Amino acid sequence: MKQHSKALQWAIYGGLTLWLVIASLPIVWTAIISFRQYVDAFSSPLKWTAPFTFENYRTLWIDKAFYLNFLNTALVTLGTVTISLTVGCLAGYALSRYRGALGFWLLLVALVFRAIPHSSLLPSFFTMFDALGIRNTYFALIFVLVAINQPFTIWMLRSFFINIPSELDEAALVDGCTRFQAFRKVIIPVMWPGVVTTGLFSFLLAYNDFLLSSALTNAEKMTMPAAIANAISAESEALLMQGVAGAVSITIPLIILIVFFQKQIVGGLTQGAVKG
Amino acid sequence: MKTKTFFQFIGPSLALMLVLMAAPLVLTGYLSVRNCSLQMELVKAQESTPFGTNEILSHQAKLGSDGKALENCGFVGLDYYRKVLGITDSSAPKASATQPKNEFYAALQFTLIYVFVTLPFVLGIGFLLALGVNNVTQKLKGMFISASLLPFIITPVVAALSIKWLFRDNGLVPYLLSQVGIQVFWMAEAWSARLLIIIYGIWHVVPFAFIVLYAGLQSVPQDSLEAATIDGASRWQKMRFVTLPHLMPLIVFLSLIHLMDAYRVFEPVMVLTQGAFTASVQYLTYFILLQENNPFKASAAAVLTLIGILILLIPLLVKTYREQRGGM
Amino acid sequence: MASAALGLAFGLLVAPAHAKCTDIKGNGDINIVGNAFPVLQHISVAMEACKRRGLSVAVKMTPEARQETERAFGSGGVSAFDAAVVSMGSYSVLRSKGQLQSMTDLVAKYRARYNIEERMLVKFNGEVMAIAFMQNAQSLYYRKDIFDKHGLSVPTTYAEMVATAAIIKAREPSIEFPIAQTFAKGFDVGTEFANLLVGNGGRFFKVGTAEAAFNDANGVQAIAVMRSMLPFMTPNVLASNSDDVMNQFQQGKAAMGVLWASRAARMDDPTASKVVGKIAFAPAPAVVAGGKSATHLWWDGVVMPKNMASDRDTVFQVLMEALSEDVTRSGNDTAIWIRSAYRPTRFATGVLESIAAGAPIWPTEPFFGLAHSEVGKILPEALVGRLTPKAALDAAAAAYTRSATEQGFIKAPAATAASHP
Repeated sequence: MKQHSKALQWAIYGGLTLWLVIASLPIVWTAIISFRQYVDAFSSPLKWTAPFTFENYRTLWIDKAFYLNFLNTALVTLGTVTISLTVGCLAGYALSRYRGALGFWLLLVALVFRAIPHSSLLPSFFTMFDALGIRNTYFALIFVLVAINQPFTIWMLRSFFINIPSELDEAALVDGCTRFQAFRKVIIPVMWPGVVTTGLFSFLLAYNDFLLSSALTNAEKMTMPAAIANAISAESEALLMQGVAGAVSITIPLIILIVFFQKQIVGGLTQGAVKG
Repeated sequence: MKTKTFFQFIGPSLALMLVLMAAPLVLTGYLSVRNCSLQMELVKAQESTPFGTNEILSHQAKLGSDGKALENCGFVGLDYYRKVLGITDSSAPKASATQPKNEFYAALQFTLIYVFVTLPFVLGIGFLLALGVNNVTQKLKGMFISASLLPFIITPVVAALSIKWLFRDNGLVPYLLSQVGIQVFWMAEAWSARLLIIIYGIWHVVPFAFIVLYAGLQSVPQDSLEAATIDGASRWQKMRFVTLPHLMPLIVFLSLIHLMDAYRVFEPVMVLTQGAFTASVQYLTYFILLQENNPFKASAAAVLTLIGILILLIPLLVKTYREQRGGM
Repeated sequence: MASAALGLAFGLLVAPAHAKCTDIKGNGDINIVGNAFPVLQHISVAMEACKRRGLSVAVKMTPEARQETERAFGSGGVSAFDAAVVSMGSYSVLRSKGQLQSMTDLVAKYRARYNIEERMLVKFNGEVMAIAFMQNAQSLYYRKDIFDKHGLSVPTTYAEMVATAAIIKAREPSIEFPIAQTFAKGFDVGTEFANLLVGNGGRFFKVGTAEAAFNDANGVQAIAVMRSMLPFMTPNVLASNSDDVMNQFQQGKAAMGVLWASRAARMDDPTASKVVGKIAFAPAPAVVAGGKSATHLWWDGVVMPKNMASDRDTVFQVLMEALSEDVTRSGNDTAIWIRSAYRPTRFATGVLESIAAGAPIWPTEPFFGLAHSEVGKILPEALVGRLTPKAALDAAAAAYTRSATEQGFIKAPAATAASHP
C-alpha cells in the first residue's frame, strides 16, 4: 500500500474527510442548536453563534421526565435483544445443523418475512391486541419487535454457526451428550463474536423503532423516538426545543455504542455474515 | 440433526413468527375484504354549546340494548382494492388530465424510484469509502470507521428531523447554497422534496454498504493480488479482475438488503414532507390506518404493498432457492 | 435510580401549587389523550399533578390525538384512554357514533365543588356530553410597526390583504414574503378552504343531507382567493404548518396572515420571538366586501368514552381539577377561556371582534371530518396548478362520497359528484 502517489493520498484523505463532515453535519448542527433558545435556534437569517443555555435539556429531563422514556426504551431494548438472541440462537443453531428440506423452506419464508413492511402488520396488531386487552403493554411491544427481528436474526446466526465445525458438537454427541448439552458445552463458548454482532443489530432495531413503538404504546410507556416525534410536532416552541434536546440525548448512547463496539461490528461481519 | 430435535430448537422462534407475523398477515387479508359501518339515522336534537342552543338535524348511530352502536359488518369483496387502486365503476370518467393521480400508484412509483435511485449511490460511495479507509494508516482506521457509521446507527426519526432542520427555509444548507448563488426552496416542489428524501436515503445507508464491503476487502486473497502484480497488472486491472469479483456476493447481498429496507421507506417521508408532494407505500398504509382511521382500507393497501415486495423478491427467491438447495 | 429520584423531586417542586386534588379518593391508572398546543400543556400539567400513590395520571399529548381518540373510543374492547381533550370537530364525530358517555350525574354531583359553569356544558338533548373550557378561531396577525411605517390600513377583505401584501413586498426591504398562512397539505389547507368557502357564502353539504356541495362556484372562488395569495407567500408554503407560520412571524419574516388565536401570546415571548410587542391582532378578513369574517369558531373540551377502563368519578374529578378557575387564571393568556374568571387581553381582540362580526361556528356534521380530509389531501394539486380548481374539488367530492357511504352516512351508493359535471 506504500506505492500510492501523493496526489492519491490527498484524494483519499480529502474524500474521507468530506464524508465525515457530511455524515456528522446533521447531528452536529442539531447539537449546536439544542443549546440555544428557540428564537436563536431557528433564526432567520441563520445565526452562527448565540447565547448558550442548558434550559432545553433541563426541562426535557427534569420537568418532562424524559428519563421515563429513556427507561422505557432501555426496558424494551433489553427485553428485545435478550429474547431475540435466546430464541434466535436456538433456531440458528438448528438451521445450521439440520439437513432436511424443511430447514431450507423455513429460511426462504423467513427471507420473505424479512421484507415485510411493518405497517402492513399494524391493522392486525390493533385488532388482535385490542381483543386480548394487551395493547399498550411492554410485553406486546417487546414480542412484536422480537418477532419482526427473528428472520434477520436466524439468518445471521445460522451463518455464524455454519462456520463452527460440526465435528465439534458431533464429538460431544458421541460422548453421550444430548443435543442441548452439546449446544451448551461446545457451541455457546465459541459463538460470542456472532452473538455480539447480531445483538448489535437487534439493539439498533429495538432502540430506533418508531413506527410500531409509537402506534402500540401510550403516554407512560412511550419510548424515546415516539416521545421526540410527539414533542417536535406539538405546536409549541418550548416542546420543539425539548425535542431537539431529545434528539441529541437519544444519539449519545448510540455514539458510545459504536466507539466501543466498532471492532466487533467489523470483526463480526468479516467472520460471519459476509462469508455465509 | 433429527427432525424432532430440530423442531425443539426452532420451536420458540417459529411460534413467534407464526403468531406475530404469519397470523397477522392472514388477518390483514381477511380484514381487507370486509367493512363495518354504523347504522346511522337522521334525528332532530337540541344541542347546547358555549355558542348557544340550537335545534339541529344530526346523524346519530342506532344503539343496541347494551348501549353500544349497532354495526353492519360484512364482506365487501374487492371493493377496497378497487378503491385503493382507483378503479372506479364504468359510469365514472376515466383517469385523465383533470383527474388526480391515484395515491397508491403515485406512492408505489416514488417507492420504486427511491429504491433504484439510491442503490447505485449507496454501493458506489460505500465502495469508495471502503477502498479509502483500507488505505489509511492503522491508527486512523478505527476513528474513521466509528465516525462513518453514525448515519447508519442514528435513530431514523431523529436523523430525518436533523436533516429537515438543515434544509428548512433560511436553514444551514439553503444558506450555504445561497452563498454560491443557488436558491432552492426544498419544500416548494415535488422534485426537490423527493430529492431530499433520496439524499436522506443515500446518507443513511452508505455506512452499511461501506462496512460490509470493508469487511469483504479484508479477505481479498493476497496471493491473487501478488500474482497479478507479478504479471504486470495495473491497479485498475487488479481491482477489476481480482477485488470486484471477490466482493460480488457482498454487492448482491447489499443490493437485496437495500431492496427490502428501501421498499419500507417511512420516516423521511413522514418527517421531511409530511406526505406533501410524495408518499411511499408504507407511509400510505400508515396514513390510511392512523389518519383516515380505516383498518379495512389500510389492510387492502397493506396487501397490495406486500404483493409489490413479493414481485420484487422473486429473482432473489429463485436465486436463494438454487444456491441453498445445492448447499444443503 | 438517583437521577429518577432527583427528577421526581424537581417534578414536585415545579408542579403548580393550585392543583391540589385533595378530594379525589379513587385509585387507578388514568390515561388521557389530547393535542399538545400550549394551553393543553398547561392543563395537562394540572391533570398530572393529581398523581399520588395509588393514582397514576398519564396524559399522551400527540398531534395525532384526534385519530387516537376516535380509534380508542370506537374500539370493541376497553378504550386505551379514559378521557380525551377534543375540539368540537372530534366531539361531533364521537357523539354521533354514540361513543361518549353522559356526564350529567357527575356534573350534578360535583358542580359546586368545582364551580362548573353552565356555559361550559355541551349538551345533547339535555345530557351533558362534553365540558368545554376554551374557544378558538383564527384571527389576523399583522405587523403594526410596518403598517404604521408605510401608512397602511388593516385589511378587512382578502382582496385588500393581497393588495397590501403587494405594497409591503415593494416597499419593505426586510420582508420578502408578506403573507404567512397554514397551507400545509392535509388538515391545515383544508381548514383554510373551509374558512374561505363559508366566508364566500358556500356550503359543504346540501342542507339536511350528507351530500357534497363544496365543489361548486363558491369552492372554485375560494381556491382562486388562495391562489391569489401564493405570490406573496414563501415557496415552501405547501409544507407550512402552524409551527412554520409562527416561525415566520416570530423571526420578523412575515407581515400578516390568518392564524389560530391560541398561539397569539407566543408572539410576545422574547425567547421565541424577535417581534415582541410589534404584532397586533384583528378579525380575520372577509372574502367578500362587507361579508362576515372568514373564520370559524371552535370550542375545545373534555369527553369520556362509554368503554372506559377506570373509575368514572375519579377520572371526572381529575378533569375538573385541570379545568378549575385557578388553572384558568394562571394560564390566562394561553387561550380564550370560557370560564368567567378569564380576563381577555390584547391577544384575544381578533377573535372577540370576529365573534362580534358574526363568524360562523365550525361545522358540526359528523361526516364533516371526512370531507375536510379529502379536500385537504387534494387541494395542493389545485394550488400548484396541476389540476383545475373544479377538477380537484370534484375529485375530493367523489372521494368523500365513497368514504361517507362506507361509514354509513350516505345510504344508497349515490352517483358520485364527479359524474355530474
